[in-house]
Amino acid sequence: MRGRIPAGAVTPRIACEGVRALQRPDWAPETIDVERPSVARMYDYYLGGSHNFAADRAAARAMVAAVPEAPLMAQANRAFLRRAVQFLTAAGVRQFLDIGSGIPTVGNVHEIAQRHAPDSRVVYVDVDPVAVAHSREILAGNDGATVVQEDLRHPERILAHPDVRALLDFSQPVAVLVVAVLHFVADDDRPAEVLRTLRAALAPGSYLVLSQASDDGRDEAQRAEAEEVYKRTDNPLWVRSRAELTAFFDGFELVEPGVLWVPQWRPETPESAEDAERAVFQGGVGRLGG
Amino acid sequence: MGEPANAPSCVGAFARAWAKALSGTSYLPMTHAQLETLLQRLTDLLAEALRAEPLDLRVGHRVADELVAAHIASAEALGRTVEVIQLRLIRDLDLVADDIEDRMARLLATVATGYARALRDRTLDEQESIRRAALTARAEAEQALRASEARFRHQATHDPLTDLPNRTLFAERLAAAVDASTGSSRRVGLCFLDLDRFKRVNDSYGHQIGDRALVAAARRLRRAVEPHLVARLGGDAFVVLVERSTGTGDVLAVAEAALATLSEPVVVDGHDVTVTASVGIVERRVADTSPDDLLRAAGSTLQWAKTAGGARWALYDAERDGQERARQALSAAIPVGLERGEFYLDYQPLTSLHDGSLLGVEALVRWRHPQLGVLRPDSFIGLAEETGLIVPLGGWVLAEACREAVGWTAAAGEPPYVSVNLAVRQVRRPGLVQEVRALLRRTGLPPNRLQLEITESTMMTTAEEPVRALRALADLGVRIAIDDFGTGYSNLAYLRDLPVTDLKVAGEFVRGLRAPDDDPGSRTGERILASLVSLAHALDLSVTAEGVETAEQADWLRAIGCDAGQGWHLGRPAPADQVLAYLASPQSGLNQSGPDGMPSHEDRRRKPGNVPTSGGSPASAGS
Repeated sequence: MRGRIPAGAVTPRIACEGVRALQRPDWAPETIDVERPSVARMYDYYLGGSHNFAADRAAARAMVAAVPEAPLMAQANRAFLRRAVQFLTAAGVRQFLDIGSGIPTVGNVHEIAQRHAPDSRVVYVDVDPVAVAHSREILAGNDGATVVQEDLRHPERILAHPDVRALLDFSQPVAVLVVAVLHFVADDDRPAEVLRTLRAALAPGSYLVLSQASDDGRDEAQRAEAEEVYKRTDNPLWVRSRAELTAFFDGFELVEPGVLWVPQWRPETPESAEDAERAVFQGGVGRLGG
Repeated sequence: MGEPANAPSCVGAFARAWAKALSGTSYLPMTHAQLETLLQRLTDLLAEALRAEPLDLRVGHRVADELVAAHIASAEALGRTVEVIQLRLIRDLDLVADDIEDRMARLLATVATGYARALRDRTLDEQESIRRAALTARAEAEQALRASEARFRHQATHDPLTDLPNRTLFAERLAAAVDASTGSSRRVGLCFLDLDRFKRVNDSYGHQIGDRALVAAARRLRRAVEPHLVARLGGDAFVVLVERSTGTGDVLAVAEAALATLSEPVVVDGHDVTVTASVGIVERRVADTSPDDLLRAAGSTLQWAKTAGGARWALYDAERDGQERARQALSAAIPVGLERGEFYLDYQPLTSLHDGSLLGVEALVRWRHPQLGVLRPDSFIGLAEETGLIVPLGGWVLAEACREAVGWTAAAGEPPYVSVNLAVRQVRRPGLVQEVRALLRRTGLPPNRLQLEITESTMMTTAEEPVRALRALADLGVRIAIDDFGTGYSNLAYLRDLPVTDLKVAGEFVRGLRAPDDDPGSRTGERILASLVSLAHALDLSVTAEGVETAEQADWLRAIGCDAGQGWHLGRPAPADQVLAYLASPQSGLNQSGPDGMPSHEDRRRKPGNVPTSGGSPASAGS
């Protein structure tokens, strides 16, 4: 199980940015406060993991009380990620940039990809220092995978990061995974521009895998309650519609069947796609042509 | 839950039912097919266990371990597993035994216990691993913070060009070194160092080379004076802090080392850049000083080394510093003094040697200083000239002299003129002519009653401006005198070009006249003086002898034809009202305050025209 939700979006709010720039160089992490719920560890809890602390569990339980499907949603998204990576591996992609990778527990991208193609190279990116520390431990000894601490909202820093450059060859196709993280990027932080910046760095034949919480067909009260829970974390929630998600694939050709509820994306069995909207997440895969 | 199967080959059917039961209980990181394969194997294990004799309860634990290891690890998954095995396994696999129900119960119990154990272990492992990650992250964050703090601290306290400590760090270290609580007997020293004419390096080679030369100088300096702290205060100024000095010798040694290392040329980019330095040295007891005091003293001392030509050190001298500071304080007080009216004028008579009449008076400025009492010009005019304050001060003197002089009256003939000294800066300043013209207009003083005294050095310039200004003043009718003639440059050439009215011969020549007759020096002085007088008269200039202190001198001067005299014998400087009193009553001498007796004034005729003036000189026009 992986703590998807946490990733990339993260910690510093706008106000913090200035402070961070002023007092702390980029490479100096935030202070670590396990009393504050982490979206990465909450996600781990939804997936049944124990990589979490009391504060994470309390917040996650509040979320489940508001949105009972939360664990299902996490599982469905995790399964979507697995199917997408299997699809990409089959399509010949050997490089993965997983932004907002969260707590790396079971079924990580490198496990899936390297099982099928041992030469696959994976770079995980997360802003949560605990998630990064944990990832580093998991990945110790794996030459084909590494983790860097960065913020999805600064794609240029991710792309310029020496560890990223060391492992990934951007003249060859790269699959960029922005899975269950974009709902932590506020509209003010220009998610479309973030994706454009990433796209601009990619070679033809590269892919974008995207999923995020969606409010299509959700009732207002439930959404408000969910948003309330995430206000306790460093990462408020920004749910978006299918149309908005589809627009994020600007410049990519959507792979069949397009953007829909994640269980509906290339399900293994027809039953697994039933009641798909309960999964809350919508997503899809796009290919960069040319 | 699927149809019952009667044959052992129906393991697959059971596994499918099991897989379906598990779906949705937790995230399974595998495909459905992979899950069914796993469950088939586990089904085989269970079936085998139920058939075997004796019942191997370890199988239950093994199945449970495998389930949890495959991340089929939730309470729901256990419940569904127990349910599906209990309901379907015996039936689907057609297992037959007398005690089958008993065996099943015991096997399920071991699956449940094993599962609970495995789940607990897994939970504990995960808790431990996330806690370890949090600790690691926290340690990294703290380390990064410390590193960043150290880096920021370094940036804040070091000069980016040379990486030497900067003023901030130096101030901290100096303050600590001078902290009196560390023991009053301790001593501390500073070498304030500055590269001589470093601007020339920048100007000749460009700033890039200049910067690199600075970096090289900084590196050498640091090495040469180790272990003492060297800081760059900015530009090409450095300072070395000698803590725990044992005496001046320690700091001198540091200064010598610094000068020696800097005197070797630096090759930068193929350029042989040679710099020298000046060092100001201060060394004293910690108890007797403060950081500000030390740095100020070192800075002043550095200036002494610079003034002496650079490429040397200078050692602090409290007496010299005291004098300089007093001078500085005095000069700073001049503007305030002007504002508060602390300056006033005395006048000293310029007396005709022909008839003893009062031709004019020289205005002499006095300063009634609130703390120091009345100051004579020699204690502040030099300062005012250095600082440029001579311009406002001289302007005030000029205006005040005109203002007072205009009120003077004479019993007969014209009242005496007033002679005012003009400093070089005043003459060279544009606007002098307008200033004087406006002044004369405002006060109503006739131009021929104003004489301006300039020194020879005023004329030692190639600039046209002063000459033009003096001509314009002479054209106004103002008299122009050369002050202290014979002590300076004495270039006679300018006498040809300038509208000079009078030569004031310096007192040195007159003093020589008192020497015994057999002193060959005095004979020479007399001859020079006599020649000067005839030279001046040949040029239609009058001659005024300064420093006339005895009747003999006055007699001799009269004998060689000198026109006028000034000095204690003829009259001491006195306030304007005494000048006025003298004018009102001719019997009272202007020199009443003088030490010597007055020369006879009985037949003195007040006739300014008596002074021989050159008819050709513009200054004489209208007099």
